[in-house]
Amino acid sequence: MTKQLLQGNHAIALAAEVAGLKFFAGYPITPASEIIHEMVNKKHIKVLQMEDEIASINAVIGASLAGLRAMTATSGPGFSLMQESIGLAHMMEVPLVIVNVQRVGPSTGMPTLPAQGDVIQCIHGSHGDYFPIVFYPNSVSELYKYTVTAFNAAEESMSPVILLSDGYISHLYETIVPHRDFQTKKRDRQPLGAGNRHFTGLSHEDFVPKTSDVDNYRRLITRLHEKQQLTAQRYNDYEYFECSKDTDTLLISYGALSRIAYHFKDAFSLYRPIRMFPVVEEIKIIAPRYKRIIIMEMNTGQYAHEIERILHREVEFIPILGGRIDLVEIKEKIVEVKP
Amino acid sequence: MIEDASMNKDTNFKRYLKLDLLPTPWCPGCGNGIVLKTICQAFDELNLPKNDTVVVSGIGCAGRSAGFFDLDSVHTAHGRAIPVAEGIKYANDVLNVVVVSGDGDLLGIGGNHLLHAIRRNTNITVVCYANEIYGMTGGQVSPTTPHGTKTLTTPNGNQDQPADVQSLFKHHNCYYARTTAYHLNHMKKCIVEALKFKGFSFVEARTMCIVNYGRRLGYKNSNEMLLHYKEFYKMNDYAEELAQNEIGIIKTTVETGLKPVSRD
Repeated sequence: MTKQLLQGNHAIALAAEVAGLKFFAGYPITPASEIIHEMVNKKHIKVLQMEDEIASINAVIGASLAGLRAMTATSGPGFSLMQESIGLAHMMEVPLVIVNVQRVGPSTGMPTLPAQGDVIQCIHGSHGDYFPIVFYPNSVSELYKYTVTAFNAAEESMSPVILLSDGYISHLYETIVPHRDFQTKKRDRQPLGAGNRHFTGLSHEDFVPKTSDVDNYRRLITRLHEKQQLTAQRYNDYEYFECSKDTDTLLISYGALSRIAYHFKDAFSLYRPIRMFPVVEEIKIIAPRYKRIIIMEMNTGQYAHEIERILHREVEFIPILGGRIDLVEIKEKIVEVKP
Repeated sequence: MIEDASMNKDTNFKRYLKLDLLPTPWCPGCGNGIVLKTICQAFDELNLPKNDTVVVSGIGCAGRSAGFFDLDSVHTAHGRAIPVAEGIKYANDVLNVVVVSGDGDLLGIGGNHLLHAIRRNTNITVVCYANEIYGMTGGQVSPTTPHGTKTLTTPNGNQDQPADVQSLFKHHNCYYARTTAYHLNHMKKCIVEALKFKGFSFVEARTMCIVNYGRRLGYKNSNEMLLHYKEFYKMNDYAEELAQNEIGIIKTTVETGLKPVSRD
């Protein structure tokens, strides 16, 4: 297997091709545009540049229902536009992959700088209750690996799977070995044009809308939730470094920021969720071993709240805002948060 | 393929409907059923194979019609029927993809997608149930409501001009037709030709909403609204441009050298 020097976004495109991607629709946005640039040069992938991100995700939904493996890629502003149709894809059980290369928000923010501000939007961005599977790798080789994983998880759960990245790791160049021997799941559901099914965003049962049947709605949501949990369990992916020295502190970080956390591996134990949502249950087993839990993320505490909720305890929190990752600054902040 | 030999020619269109789901959720006097039936009659005339035909709809009264077709159908989010239909068509060119939705869905919230579907000239057919109102939400002004008309959200009369849909199709090799729920044969012809057209085709089917619109304008029943269509609209097929009171088919035959693009 030959080594390749790849940019993060290029690795996503290459992995998608390996995973059997046949349809891509997108809209230009910094810092995700390199993905569509790569896609247009791939022979067996149909690429549409749509008029906006709303059209992009809807075209992807259509193509997926028509039987093709489909994806779109965007950044925060585009991800916000896609939210309604992400809910639709969950309700209609349409497998697809959405790559969100995060940048500094809110609004237009700072387009060229990385952030992790879309973490909660991934699970609560659309209205109503839905339970997406979200992966967040931290290197080019992991972007490659988890793009394939995202496609598999999408096919297994029959739902949209979100692959988070950020402006930092998506623009990072690293040497990777792109494996091609992945098993990809074949879809059981027949493509459109094979029956008289009615796919609808309304609450439904057996393809028939049920707009005021409360019991049916409760059954539907329970089934969708259980299906997501069941698929997620196959990908309990996280990274845990137990410090060789005696320490009472666990440092949690993910994505770009977790790369700098490795500098603290001699002082603290480190934990990095890769499957961000549903939150990996192992944190409940690991966390009680530590008196202190510090969470470092490039937002104002989105995942920290989630961890507090899961662990039922307070955690210390370090926000790294505005896209600047500075080891000296982080060291100072870690001293500051000490009780 | 005729599935039930006992059906005669007039009722053959029923094979495209899920009859067991009837009645529809529409109010008494609604014109949507007329359009739904006429679409099925057009399908029947062309003998469209059920397995190669997909209906896509948006949200609203008209959007609910997708669920009554006895073929694969997709009921998308509000305004998003066209991009979903385009995704389906580009994914599988063999399928006949038909969009059925209302004027609020296609011209209002989904207007941008319509604009670009025309530009891309995607080979799909759109049937727009244009009833001049947002009926499902109680009767608010819509993109086709005439100037000066009172609705729930325009108590002093609509200040804006209605959308001039045919003008969007100028200079594009697309198909545009306007018809009404009164002119049944004409509507069927419009839809049949639209389905046959290679490229983007759009049928604006004027239909009546008595409960949340006509009633407030002084119509006593939906029959009066149908008679208004009869009085008001004159047929003018294959003209270059339709006047406000004309119905007809416009096929742009300008040779721009552009053909529906296959995106393989």
